[in-house]
Amino acid sequence: MTMLLAVRDLTTTFETADGVARAVDGVSFDLAEGETLALVGESGSGKTVTALSILRLIPEPAGRIAPGSRIEFAGRDLLSLSPRELREVRGAEIAMIFQEPMTSLNPVLTVGTQIAETVLAHEAASKREARERALDMLRLVGIADAESRLKSYPHELSGGMRQRVMIAIALVCRPRILIADEPTTALDVTIQAQILDLLTDLKRRLGMAMILITHNLGIAAGIADRVAVMYGGRIVEVAPTVDLYREPAHPYTDGLLRAAPRLDGPDRPTPSIPGSVPPATDWPSGCRFHPRCQYAWERCQSEPPLLEAGPARTARCWLVDEPARRKP
Amino acid sequence: MSDPTLLRVENLVKHFSVDRGMFRRPATLRAVDGVSIAVGRGETVGLVGESGSGKSTLGRCIVRLIEPDSGRIIFDGIDVLGLRGRALRAFRRRIQIVFQDPYGSLNPRMRIGPAVREPIEIHRLAPRAAADERVAQLLQEVGLDPSYARRYPHELSGGQRQRVGIARALAAEPELLVLDEPVSALDVSVQAQVLHLLRSLQERRGLTYLFIAHDLAVVRQMAARVVVMYLGKIVEEAPARAIYTDPRHPYTSSLLSAVPRPDPTAPGRRIVLTGDPPSPVTRPSGCVFHPRCPHPLKDDRCRTEVPALRKVGGSQTACHYAAEMDGIGV
Repeated sequence: MTMLLAVRDLTTTFETADGVARAVDGVSFDLAEGETLALVGESGSGKTVTALSILRLIPEPAGRIAPGSRIEFAGRDLLSLSPRELREVRGAEIAMIFQEPMTSLNPVLTVGTQIAETVLAHEAASKREARERALDMLRLVGIADAESRLKSYPHELSGGMRQRVMIAIALVCRPRILIADEPTTALDVTIQAQILDLLTDLKRRLGMAMILITHNLGIAAGIADRVAVMYGGRIVEVAPTVDLYREPAHPYTDGLLRAAPRLDGPDRPTPSIPGSVPPATDWPSGCRFHPRCQYAWERCQSEPPLLEAGPARTARCWLVDEPARRKP
Repeated sequence: MSDPTLLRVENLVKHFSVDRGMFRRPATLRAVDGVSIAVGRGETVGLVGESGSGKSTLGRCIVRLIEPDSGRIIFDGIDVLGLRGRALRAFRRRIQIVFQDPYGSLNPRMRIGPAVREPIEIHRLAPRAAADERVAQLLQEVGLDPSYARRYPHELSGGQRQRVGIARALAAEPELLVLDEPVSALDVSVQAQVLHLLRSLQERRGLTYLFIAHDLAVVRQMAARVVVMYLGKIVEEAPARAIYTDPRHPYTSSLLSAVPRPDPTAPGRRIVLTGDPPSPVTRPSGCVFHPRCPHPLKDDRCRTEVPALRKVGGSQTACHYAAEMDGIGV
């Protein structure tokens, strides 16, 4: 397995009225060729800012990626690229889709124009070739009657179709990585199922790697090879998907899995995690989860590193060292 | 003895007129199209559907935020739609609604205390001097420190704001709460907190809930009975157990099948519906679900004849071939 993307010590901060928010704080992970990694977390965990940092889409000067952060893509350091070099990577080699396609599509351009535009920006193609590619893409993402849909405007499409168009734009230059940020959160559940199946199918056919950002453990379970759980701007656990769900190592992962509503679960509310996610301007000292953790003890006043928690898995929790304390 | 049914909705219809531009006649959007439900005292009925199903319009009709075109709403023996003036105000106190986004329903310039006190004053439920004491009690009851009375909505987290939304609804001392997607905007760990709160309030106060949600897995934790809507119509209604283990309408099966499961070893989806739900403006003929229906027996009858709700197995279901559902279930 070759590493396609290596993120090291990524720290992204924002100036806010309440002080400096360390939205992403020392995040490291790898993405292999063809792999799907899910970044899972609740709001404020830093998962979206991680994704935006990879593409350097952090609005400056309020936000900034701290010195010492490294993002290596296919041997190149994305953080030291010139704006021109960066444009060559964005959209062509790493593409991104967002939760609300309506806000990322241009309302006054037809769907066909918007897909073709991406081709023309990145490749030496003629207008006719670009149009042909747009048509192929619409068919590939399963839009019926693709020929006439090329001339549609975004407002004429349903939410599901708009997300398909976004996927078409993202994939038209055959990127090696697709970053999908909550791609189905705004959609109805039956449409969500269609889009998730489409992403799985395209990923296999095009052989690309994917970073899927989601708050929904069900979605991550169905699509990811590996899952990284984020809390308080940090990755708290990484594991192969099956292992993570079978035996979560971090109490936060465990709490999330217990809280997740299930169709085959009991007919009463699931156990909750007490408290709420602290603001990024004021992370707790020590382990960031310790104020909400049922197992916390003195040692949790100092923050654990990501500890080896089994084959190919790590967890940022002292329980990995002292498993006997997990007994209730 | 009082009637065990607290709320009865009969054949409720609400159509909206949709403007289609200067030269075309307005279209008719059939948001709610002949819906009947009954909710027993102390019961939780789950109302499930996707966007355009009419579930929220139905909820708003019940609290009379929207006037239905026809049909009847009977609450505790009173014909609600005939109420005016003082009698209407008295009725409004007895049914309260909690919305998905408490940020949108709380006045951003009003502190939490006055927001919760408002219903107490409007309905004259406590003398002025005792109102603040009531507010403190209500905040405590929903798990907030009484000092939150001095804060503004923007100082609160999403979960705390939803607790305020619930406290405000409870301030009127209602018997029935219409909960319209009360946890959809919240993170999973906080969702569970709010659901626990709603459960314990129900037990303590003997409340009746109409729980409106798109998430079948959340409804499972709350409702004893589930009503499934599609394009303004009820397609299935059954005790929760029957809905989740033996759905009798192909739409219910498809919805269940589409819910992502937090289990990577779970078998894949059996049914993925194709296409989008049609808009409630251009409704299909016959069974409204027929263009997307995965039922193998689907035929001309489905395209022409509207199926009536009838008893099949443990469900009331509106499908011509509900009895032949085995094998396509989830």
